[in-house]
Amino acid sequence: MKRNLLWLAVLAAAAVLLFGGCSSKEKETLFLYNWCDFLDDSLLTQFTEETGIQVVTDYFDTNETMFAKMQAGADGYDIIIPSAYMVEIMHNSGMLTELDHSKIPNLSNLDPEFVKLALDNKSQYSVLYTVSTTGIGILKSQLGDLDEISWDIFGDSRYTGRMTMLNDMREALGAALKYGGHSLNSTDEKELAQARDQLIAWKKNLAKWDSELYKNGLASREFSVSHGYSGVVLQAQQENDDVKYMLPKEGVALNVECMVIPKSAPHPEAAYRFIDFMLGAEEAAKNTTFICYLAPVKPSYALLDESVLNDPAIFIPKETIAKAEVYKDPGEANALYSKMWEEVKDAQVQ
Amino acid sequence: MKKPGLPKVILYATFVFLYIPLIILIINSFNASRFSAVWEGFSLKWYTKLFHDRSIARSFTNTVIVTFSSVTLSTVLGSLAGVVIARYESRLQKAHAALLRLPLMMPDILMGIGLLFFFITLKIPLGLFTIILGHVTFTMSYVASTVRAQFQNFDYAVVEAAQDLGAGWWDTFIRIYLPLLAPGILSGAMLAMTLSVDDFVITFFISGPGSSTLPVQIYSMIRFGTPPVINALSTILISVTFTLLLIYQRFSRRSMK
Repeated sequence: MKRNLLWLAVLAAAAVLLFGGCSSKEKETLFLYNWCDFLDDSLLTQFTEETGIQVVTDYFDTNETMFAKMQAGADGYDIIIPSAYMVEIMHNSGMLTELDHSKIPNLSNLDPEFVKLALDNKSQYSVLYTVSTTGIGILKSQLGDLDEISWDIFGDSRYTGRMTMLNDMREALGAALKYGGHSLNSTDEKELAQARDQLIAWKKNLAKWDSELYKNGLASREFSVSHGYSGVVLQAQQENDDVKYMLPKEGVALNVECMVIPKSAPHPEAAYRFIDFMLGAEEAAKNTTFICYLAPVKPSYALLDESVLNDPAIFIPKETIAKAEVYKDPGEANALYSKMWEEVKDAQVQ
Repeated sequence: MKKPGLPKVILYATFVFLYIPLIILIINSFNASRFSAVWEGFSLKWYTKLFHDRSIARSFTNTVIVTFSSVTLSTVLGSLAGVVIARYESRLQKAHAALLRLPLMMPDILMGIGLLFFFITLKIPLGLFTIILGHVTFTMSYVASTVRAQFQNFDYAVVEAAQDLGAGWWDTFIRIYLPLLAPGILSGAMLAMTLSVDDFVITFFISGPGSSTLPVQIYSMIRFGTPPVINALSTILISVTFTLLLIYQRFSRRSMK
C-alpha cells in the first residue's frame, strides 16, 4: 500500500500548490508593466516600506507586444510605461485614464522644458518618466576627442565602411531632415525629398543600417561612428572607454517614455501614489543614476552626481533641448515617409 | 578498422550543430563582458545579479508551481485517458482518441489565442490558474499517448488472473495496472514536464499580471535586459533539464531489468 499513499501525497501536494498559488493575498499590490532594466529595484523596496503596497513587475520587449496584449483584453496592470507614440495610440483607443492632478502633488516637479515638448503637454493622460536622445556614438581613438559633431559625419569618406545608421524610417529620415535644417516631423514633400537624397549620399559610406548590433560593434571597435540611442551607446561605453556619445549640433530627436494608468487598472489609487512617488526629487535622482536615463524631475537635478550632470548621454544640455523634437505621428504623410524610405533602401550605391 | 563513413560524419555534424550554441552560451555566462564579442575574463557577477533579481525569483517560483501542478493533473488525466482508449475500442473512445490527438497537431499560437479569448469571455482573470489549465490541455495528450503505447505488449492475462484471485477494481488498478504502466506514465510525465517548463507561445497569451514564467521572462529580457544574465539563467535551466534526464534514464534502465 506504500505506493497508494505516495500517490495520495502527490495529489494532495499538487492541490495545495494549485489553489495556494491562486488565492490572492489581501495585501495591496500594484502591478507594473515596464521595460526590462528600466527601474531601480531598490526604489520598489522603498515604495513598499513607505506605503505598504507590494509591487509586482512584468516586462514587455516592444510597445507593440504590450499593446497587442492590452487590446486582446488582458487587464490587471495598474501602471504601464510605454513610449510616447504608443501612449497616443493607447489614448486614441480609449485605454487610458484621464489623470486627476490633485492626486499627484509632485506633478509640479516635472521640468517644464520637457513637458512643453511632449505630445501630451498637459499631462492629461500620461506623466513623463524618462527623456533621452538619439545621437551618435563615436570612437575617440578614430575621430579624436571632438567637441562638436554634425550629422554630416556620415558623409565623411575617411570612415567609409565603419559607420552605421539606425535601420528605422523615422530616425534615419529625421537625422537627414535635421541636417537640412527642417523639423523632423516635416510633412513637406520637397523637404522629405531633400532628406532622401541626403540619406542616399550618406548611404555609400555606411557599413549597414543597424538598430540591434551597433552597441557590440562600437564596444568591439568594429564600427567607428554609429547613429544610436543614448542609453544603448552608454552601455557600449561602460564596456569600452573609447566610446563617446555626441549630440549633433543641428538638433536631435527626443525620446520620451511615460507612465500611464490604463482604465482597467484594478488599483488606481496605488497607481497614483506610485506616480507621485517617482516624481519625488530624491527618488528621481536615484532612478536617473541607476538606469542612465534622465527622469525629468527638476528638483532632482541638484542631487545628481557631477559625472551624471556632465554626461550629455544622460543629462541633456540646455542648448540641445532648444533644438530637440519629439516624433509625432505624421498622419497622411505616413505614405510619403514610407515611399522616401523605400527609395533610400533601394538606391544603388557603389 | 573501417574508415568513418558518411553516416558518421553526419552524426558528428549534427551533434556539433546541436550543442555548440549551448556550449557557447554556457561559456559566455561566465564572461565578464556585457557583450559576448570579447572575452574579458572569468566572472560570476551575472549569477550574483541573477540571484538578486526579484522578478526572476518570482518567475522561477511561478514556473515551479505551474509545472508541478500541470504535470500532476495531466499525468492523472492523461493516464486515465490512455487506459480507456487502449482498453475499450468503442466508437466513443475512437472519437476521444482523435480529440486528444488534436492538441498535438494544432499550432501553439492558435491554442494560445483560443484559450485567451475563452478565458476573457468567461471573465476568468488571467494568472497562474489559467496557465496551469492551458498547460494541462496540451501536456495531457502527450501523457495519454505514451500510456497508450504501453498497452502494445500488455498481457491482459495478468489482469484476468488477478480478478480470478479475488482482486477488486482498486487492487487491480494499484497492483496490476499501475506497476505495468509505470514506465509509460513516468516518461509521459517527464515529457509533460519539459514541455510545460519551456512553453512560451501559449503561456505568453494566457499569463496575467505577476504570473510570468521563466520563458516569458527570458523573452522580454532579450532586447533590453543584460544578455549575460539571460545566459546565466539559461545555463541553470539546461543543468536542471540534464539532471532530470539523467535521473529519468537511471530509473527507466532499472525498470527494464
